Amino acid sequence: MNFAPIDWIIVVVYLAASLIMGVIGKRYVGSITDYLVAGRELGPYVGIATLAATEIGTITFMYYAELGYKYGFAAFAAAVISGVVMIIVGRTGLIISRFRELKLMTVPEFFERKYSPGLRILTGILVATGGILNMGVFLKVEGEFLTIVTGIDPRYLVTVMTVILLLELTYTVLGGMVSVVITDFIQYALLSVAVILVSIWAVLHTGWDSMVTKVVTTMGHDGFSPFTNPRFGVTFLIWQLLLWFALHTCWQTTAMRMFSTRSPEISKKVMTWTGFIFLGRGMLPILWGIAALAMLGTGPAGKDGVLLPVVGGQVLQPVEAMPAMLARILGPGVRGIVVAGMLAATMSVNSSYLLGWSSVISQDIILPVRRRLGKGPLSSRQQILLNRLANLFVSLFVMFWGLYYTLPGAVYLYLHITATIYLAGAFTCAVGGLYWRRANVAGGYAAMLLGAAGAIVPYFFLHWGENVTGFAAFGLAALGFVAGSLLWKRGDAALEVPHA
Amino acid sequence: MRSWLTFWTLWLLVAGASFAAITVVVIVKGARDLRDMFTGLKRSREE
Repeated sequence: MNFAPIDWIIVVVYLAASLIMGVIGKRYVGSITDYLVAGRELGPYVGIATLAATEIGTITFMYYAELGYKYGFAAFAAAVISGVVMIIVGRTGLIISRFRELKLMTVPEFFERKYSPGLRILTGILVATGGILNMGVFLKVEGEFLTIVTGIDPRYLVTVMTVILLLELTYTVLGGMVSVVITDFIQYALLSVAVILVSIWAVLHTGWDSMVTKVVTTMGHDGFSPFTNPRFGVTFLIWQLLLWFALHTCWQTTAMRMFSTRSPEISKKVMTWTGFIFLGRGMLPILWGIAALAMLGTGPAGKDGVLLPVVGGQVLQPVEAMPAMLARILGPGVRGIVVAGMLAATMSVNSSYLLGWSSVISQDIILPVRRRLGKGPLSSRQQILLNRLANLFVSLFVMFWGLYYTLPGAVYLYLHITATIYLAGAFTCAVGGLYWRRANVAGGYAAMLLGAAGAIVPYFFLHWGENVTGFAAFGLAALGFVAGSLLWKRGDAALEVPHA
Repeated sequence: MRSWLTFWTLWLLVAGASFAAITVVVIVKGARDLRDMFTGLKRSREE
């Protein structure tokens, strides 16, 4: 066991405080709007904290560190694209500002306003499928991190996963977005301290020169240039640009923060400043991965040709290198703070994702289907109950998927492909629906179906590479949208924008 | 290779510095935002 008593005390105090604060959120929830979008009362600073905390998890650190370990400094390109695109979206207000004006609660709700109730249901199904598959690997990867850093026996991985899930489920189910925002704020503070501590520790212990030398000797020029690195290249960079524009505007958990702000102007401000945080969110963990390569990369070459990490004579996988390095370099006390920070990151992401996907299941699938069946509307209280049940369902699926699904490649690329399942079509429909007069429901259906097929079929059945798959999905979605809209001449109703 | 390294080092410095600076501002000013959120939620429950 790597954990000293002081480390356990820090972690337990954090968990207890987080749980108590989360449960307190319940007393402020009166309606479904409070539950899903915190009554649209988010100010800019807490908005930045909750958006950053939602999208910074242990899973984020793990996949970026894995990229750094495998592809060196060239991997920085992925992080820079994510941050710069976010700043552009924030400055221009692309999609987010219009979405906020529409007072949406979920992204698929837009599809009913602009296109048709049927397309909302289809989008809801694709959003939930892509999102839950995406979240499905979180617990396993996060559990691996915790077992390696703390030294808990790997046989207890399932127990660790279950405890993490139960804690975050408790407060998410009770207080919805209000609890998530409160805990996000605390968690953001803690995870930021951990990120800064780990970055300083990693560079100090490894040495900048030895990190550069290791990348030079193992990867050469490819370890620095994203254009010549065979894993990346121009196709990857264009796919990433498209994907990040889609993620920052149409990803349910990100969009929910924009819906929760007090005004469209605040949503733009939140997005812009979080963009700067996103630069560090990606680049700093990639740096940890490079440090882990310099420190532990002495084993035989893996299937990517990268030297595998070795710890105590045992050969590990590249994704395990960063936590193994932390277990080695962090001393008592600091290790406790870092693990508490990582747990904070884990819980903030998972709780937001649970709320995000369960809200889509309840608001965009179950409720519209009930309406179609001619059943009466549910009260706010009944909708909250429905959401809580959806939360439980998502949790059970995530546990199951995490235990039985084996990732075929790098975690980062898997997550982006599962996101592409709905983002390719959703982003196309959002841009077209808001900024192109000829957009219509036929184009919407074509974009959603072709975008999803373009991601699922090549990746899961034809086993194509992620770059080509992602590119194909966005291309097919755009093609389907334009062709469908032009061929189907009937115009759509104007968007209904509610007055403040 | 040297120019790529310089390029990435500059980005890394910008990323690290902005991450730390924004975090400090958010933590200091975010508490007031949270209080305002509670007040707003309480008010809307009472209405």
